[in-house]
Amino acid sequence: METAEIRIGVYICHCGINIASTVDVDRVRDSISQLPNVIVSRDFKYMCSDPGQELVRRDIKEKGLNRIVVASCSPRMHEPTFRMTIQQAGLNPYCLEMANIREQCSWVHEDREYATAKAVKLVSAAVAKVSLLEPLEEKEVEVRPEALVIGGGIAGIQASLDIADAGFKVYLVEREPSIGGHMAQLDKTFPTLDCSACILTPRMVEVERHPNIELLSYSEVIDVSGYIGNFHVKVRKKPRYIAMDKCTGCGMCAEACRMKGKIISEFDVGMGKRSVPYIPFPYAVPSKYTIDPENCLFITKGKCGKSPACKDACSSDAIDFEQKEEIVELDVGTIVVATGFDLFDAREKPEYGYGLYDNVLSGLEFERLVSSSGPTQGKIVIDDKEPRDVVFVQCVGSRDKSVGNEYCSRVCCMYTAKQAHLIHEKLPDAKLTVFYIDIRAFGKGYEEFYDRVREEGVRYIRGNVSEIIKKGDRLLVMAEDTLLGEPVDIEADLVVLATGIVPRKDVKEVGNLLKISRSPDGFFLESHPKMRPVDTATDGIYLAGCAQGPKDIPDTVAQAKGAASSAMTKMARGKVKVEVTTASVDTFVCRGCGRCVEVCEYGAPNLEEVEPGIFVSQINDSICKGCGACSVVCPSGAISMKHFKNEQILSQIAAVI
Amino acid sequence: MNSEAIVKETRAYHCLECGVCTSSCPVARVRPSFSPRLLVEKALFGFGDEIVRDRDLWSCLVCGRCTSRCPSNVDYLNFIKEMRIEASKLGEKGLFSHDGILNTIMELQSLSLRQKRTSWITDDLEVADEGEWFYFVGCLPYFDLVFGEGGYCDVGLKPTERARNTVRILNKMGIKPVVSNDERCCGHDLLWNGDLEGFRRLAELNLKTIEKSGAKKVICLCPEGYVTLKRDYPSYLGEQDIEVVQLYQLLADKLKEGKLNFVENGSDNPVKVTFHDPCSLGRIAEIYEEPREILSGIPGIELVEMERNRADALCCGTSGWVNCSSCSKQIQTERLKEAEATGADILLVACPKCGIHLSCAKYNSDIKIEIKDITDLIVEKMA
Amino acid sequence: MSEEFEPNIVGFACNWCSYAGADLAGTSRMKYPPNIRIIRVMCSGRVSPSFVLKAFQMGADGVLITGCHPGDCHYIAGNLKCEKTMETTRKLIDVLGIGEERLRLEWVSASEGSKFADVVTDFTNHIRGLGPILGKSQG
Repeated sequence: METAEIRIGVYICHCGINIASTVDVDRVRDSISQLPNVIVSRDFKYMCSDPGQELVRRDIKEKGLNRIVVASCSPRMHEPTFRMTIQQAGLNPYCLEMANIREQCSWVHEDREYATAKAVKLVSAAVAKVSLLEPLEEKEVEVRPEALVIGGGIAGIQASLDIADAGFKVYLVEREPSIGGHMAQLDKTFPTLDCSACILTPRMVEVERHPNIELLSYSEVIDVSGYIGNFHVKVRKKPRYIAMDKCTGCGMCAEACRMKGKIISEFDVGMGKRSVPYIPFPYAVPSKYTIDPENCLFITKGKCGKSPACKDACSSDAIDFEQKEEIVELDVGTIVVATGFDLFDAREKPEYGYGLYDNVLSGLEFERLVSSSGPTQGKIVIDDKEPRDVVFVQCVGSRDKSVGNEYCSRVCCMYTAKQAHLIHEKLPDAKLTVFYIDIRAFGKGYEEFYDRVREEGVRYIRGNVSEIIKKGDRLLVMAEDTLLGEPVDIEADLVVLATGIVPRKDVKEVGNLLKISRSPDGFFLESHPKMRPVDTATDGIYLAGCAQGPKDIPDTVAQAKGAASSAMTKMARGKVKVEVTTASVDTFVCRGCGRCVEVCEYGAPNLEEVEPGIFVSQINDSICKGCGACSVVCPSGAISMKHFKNEQILSQIAAVI
Repeated sequence: MNSEAIVKETRAYHCLECGVCTSSCPVARVRPSFSPRLLVEKALFGFGDEIVRDRDLWSCLVCGRCTSRCPSNVDYLNFIKEMRIEASKLGEKGLFSHDGILNTIMELQSLSLRQKRTSWITDDLEVADEGEWFYFVGCLPYFDLVFGEGGYCDVGLKPTERARNTVRILNKMGIKPVVSNDERCCGHDLLWNGDLEGFRRLAELNLKTIEKSGAKKVICLCPEGYVTLKRDYPSYLGEQDIEVVQLYQLLADKLKEGKLNFVENGSDNPVKVTFHDPCSLGRIAEIYEEPREILSGIPGIELVEMERNRADALCCGTSGWVNCSSCSKQIQTERLKEAEATGADILLVACPKCGIHLSCAKYNSDIKIEIKDITDLIVEKMA
Repeated sequence: MSEEFEPNIVGFACNWCSYAGADLAGTSRMKYPPNIRIIRVMCSGRVSPSFVLKAFQMGADGVLITGCHPGDCHYIAGNLKCEKTMETTRKLIDVLGIGEERLRLEWVSASEGSKFADVVTDFTNHIRGLGPILGKSQG
């Protein structure tokens, strides 16, 4: 590329005596002045001071400089300062290079001779690089004031409400017929013992009524393209076979259904039964029925008596077997991923007999059993009998490398304590035992609650259960009491497994859809574990709730509010700056091999078919973060990293040696 | 050499402006702005300065199709080489593939570093430090790290397997070749990228190494190595007291002598193969029939020729690890499709670089044909 | 080995963790040998093997790459990509006769100023002990 003559100004800072006491600044200045294209080489007491900056600005104007080197402290400190300085004098801010002769030279070396020689090399490298630097333009993209929230559990509900309250449009996509998620299945919540439905239902209703929220229930996101500010999303609305606008939620269809009471209720996790037309739970939102196509006689066999009983029973003529799936296309500026979790399947630990013995329950099954809206209306009965001895087993599927889950699920200790309390409340004579490895009662009021439960007489035995076998019509739970160092066997009528939280079964597919990564535990990966816990590596996509890792309700709500706030920050400004130092492709050189696509963590490069059979990589500037990994794997040299081009770095290497 | 001298040396003034060169040029076919004819004419009209600054100077594949068809015997290959030497002096260079790693590897070998390039040798192979035959291995040990498993640009190949197989074949022929850690890059790519000095240094070091081994015969698998040692070493460093042999020449002779035998084929269904003539082996060294003779000697193999074969064969698309581009990919894809069109199951290659380039083009594409080196096939079938 | 030998060491440090770690070594006034010259890259994953080879070709006696600890990469996994590439590069420079010990990759976080100083000191001493690359000045 033809460029105008390169005219470099070099400014060497004394930093008081911070640099000058170890580095012979005069000598550096003089050696550098000999380098090609260096028009001026100066030293100054404090380059970052106003007079120091003024010196640079004046030289740029008077001497026609077009590249500037400042040799001073770390660029991490003052690069923004000097970029602004040269911009004020009319230069492109990227025509600057800094040489770090303080943190990486004068402060770490003592020998003046060596330090000076090294400073000369470092400044020479900056001069070499600056001669090859190219002006770069800063770019902004528009951010649409609409958000997509994926998942209608408490995380998605909270995020939707916050964003909608701030005045932005929200599309809330929920895969199930109702929002509510796992929280809707819980009976009471620890440690306050609020009824889960009582605190959740008002929020669900708010979602339904909110003028800024469009709820797409019984729908799934099937495609996401674009980038921050301009995501294009395709959503598949599955057919309910019941017209939403006509259904009154009266339930006559379910009453009439020929399969009534024969279908396992997902909401009651197998503990209750339902009809083919169903509403997952009484306070569902939307309060509309859905025909379960997998079990419907009319849909699967084409015949249901003379005519489908539900259709006959519906007085508002809402049943519509002709309904087809519908693809809805949305354009949104930001996305909140609140896809939640799956419960660990305790069958993966066959030694506990889950799935084999009816009186071994998962934590969630017990929630349904104890819930007044559950299959027994809250009566704790197993085989029509009230249990006398109940054993709780902690860490089922958590902190267990044998099933691949090294992490703590963070809720089981506390929900077990709560469940023990609920039994104690309803069956004061029952003997309750909890087997545990460690009790993690870390939240506000948690330790106090744990204490309260122990005071109520719940026995905590340290040691985890090795196996559960049948003994007559009861269960024998075997473990070691590790505090006493002796084996302990307990007979029980009911065992509740504190089943942990695992990533959704389809977490990988969803991750691929959104091009977001996962951490080794399988949950979605946040951008930084501490400083950016709700952001993903993809700008404009944020995480809320258990999709990012196990969480209790307070943490989930807090994170949802954080994710909502991050999304709102971008939408409120309406514009977002995108990375300037991105990778770019020489489309003639590009062989379209796709190695860049494979290596990129962000999905910035894409192979596009420019002519039949001919592919070229296109890198989306708004997605690229400028790490440079693609330019390393590019076999043909088609990709170059702006501001860190091969020849720029090679010139630095040559200069420092 | 200045532009005028180059014109004279390469007989460029004989140019009839017929355009056969350009219409034979695989690059020009894909990219009409590239024209060997115009490059030569520019020089004829005294615009040599423009040529040496032209990025397209490095796009030429030095495949030799133009030279072999030129009715006026213009030595286009040397024209390009000499122009590149001049361009290099001005600091011009092509766009390096693989960030220039391969070129740096070559340049580093001109130092006296103590390489460990023979680490591919396994216990079953018989090699010597001194002897009659010197096996010139070439770049294979380095290719393993770039194109082999876990390499920077893994294309699913095991380049040093070619070297092991060459030794296996030689051992079978009763030859225990010298293999040396002091061997260097042959210098082919440096020469053709205009680095004459770098080439000379490598050539001198190689000749010293060969001399020290006492070998009088040098055997090459790599066709580029072969033409470099056979033709370029004498022309730049004077006549050498060594005989340079290409593996397939030797094997074709051994086949005739009845010393190379293959196992009988059990099945009636022959495997269909097609053969890609490497530019250096074919148009440059004019070794067309030897590999075919060997193939015809292998039972159960049916050779089906591609549309363009022997002197008409299409290049593997890139050379010297410079200016590999979408244009190269198109040439390679065309060649692979031509191979598939024969109905063959296997595309046989005779040059490690052809194998790499064609495998690279196959990566992430819908091309199915298996790419295999002839040495691998020979070792499989050797009795 | 000659006592006089002062090796040339080229360092590549990623902007987010290890360059900041190097800065912290400075802010904390830790001392290390002056042989290393650091080139800042945004991510250790940007370091092409060609940079390493070129550094040796141009006269470096050792190359030190520093990146974020696994799991902390600002670009998710650039450091791991670098690790994979450099594993191959170590093999490559070994075949070339430069010696694999002359290339080192270390994880240094922004809070590990002292680790940075230790790593540089150790590597510099190690290279000083190895001496110049054999055959480098000849040829």
